[in-house]
Amino acid sequence: MNQPILAIRTGHEGTGHEVLMERSPYAIDKKKLGMWIFIVSDACTFATFLFGYGYMRVGNQNWGTPFAFPTILNGILMTFVLLSSSLTMLAAVRATQAGQKASANKWLGATMLLGAIFAALHLREWFKLISEGWRLFYNPTGGAAQFGACFFSVTGLHLTHVVSGVIALAFIARGYNQGRYDESHVETAGLYWHFVDLVWMFVFPLMYLMNAQTK
Amino acid sequence: MNFEPEGEAAMSSNQEPGMRSYVGIVIGLMIIVVIEVILTYQHLPTRTLLYSLLCLACVEAFVGIMYLMHVKYETPLLFWTIFPSTLFVLVLLNYIWPDAYRMARMSLVK
Repeated sequence: MNQPILAIRTGHEGTGHEVLMERSPYAIDKKKLGMWIFIVSDACTFATFLFGYGYMRVGNQNWGTPFAFPTILNGILMTFVLLSSSLTMLAAVRATQAGQKASANKWLGATMLLGAIFAALHLREWFKLISEGWRLFYNPTGGAAQFGACFFSVTGLHLTHVVSGVIALAFIARGYNQGRYDESHVETAGLYWHFVDLVWMFVFPLMYLMNAQTK
Repeated sequence: MNFEPEGEAAMSSNQEPGMRSYVGIVIGLMIIVVIEVILTYQHLPTRTLLYSLLCLACVEAFVGIMYLMHVKYETPLLFWTIFPSTLFVLVLLNYIWPDAYRMARMSLVK
């Protein structure tokens, strides 16, 4: 049945300027809804990049599988670091909901640290590939020249998201400590962080494992 | 007048799992990653490996969205808004494959 029209807190209570609004059909905070809309659009962006990679790969008979086991091992380590950061983010959200400021700071700090470790591992991998001669349009193994463009663009887009997430978390943590932000801000930032984590669950198998040397 | 608090804490349900459950979920996701790596080194045909890895990645994404991102504990309308629209875009993106196979065939004809 229809929900009653409710007055939403606007800071104007008692002034005669209350705003009458219907209850949100999603029953979630507007920040969270905005983040979900962003996540859906960003998921489509990543999907487009991955489909583009698939297009290149299917259309090229000389693709090759250049990644040796140390590269895959680095990828596994990066995956575990990112998954662990999702756990620390959940702990941070829990702590903010319980009003435990010190604990929330600790877990937010751990999440940022793990994000920074992920970025460092990623950049180490990139520099190693560049030192081996990989470029956006050059493949030193003699395979498809588009490999570098696909790998660096997809992983670069993800790395940008991780670095942006670490910076955003730093701002959120600062605002939370200063009392400008509350637990809903931390939870919304957490949604973004988990999304970045889940995108990697597709990037790792498609960009790393599908290009692993298995012989 | 009925004032409704706008804060997230008042809106979300209280049925969310505890941290112990979250640790179990994340360990489960790590185990799936290990399975993916093991499958990679089983010398499977490329197509079989691709479908296996994609299926496992979809399982990881579904578990992550439902539990880590709390969609399971939100109103079902959120789920039914997000999933069909995203899936619709993903299905539409498949229009590129015929052209990719055309390119592959052209590269074989020399």
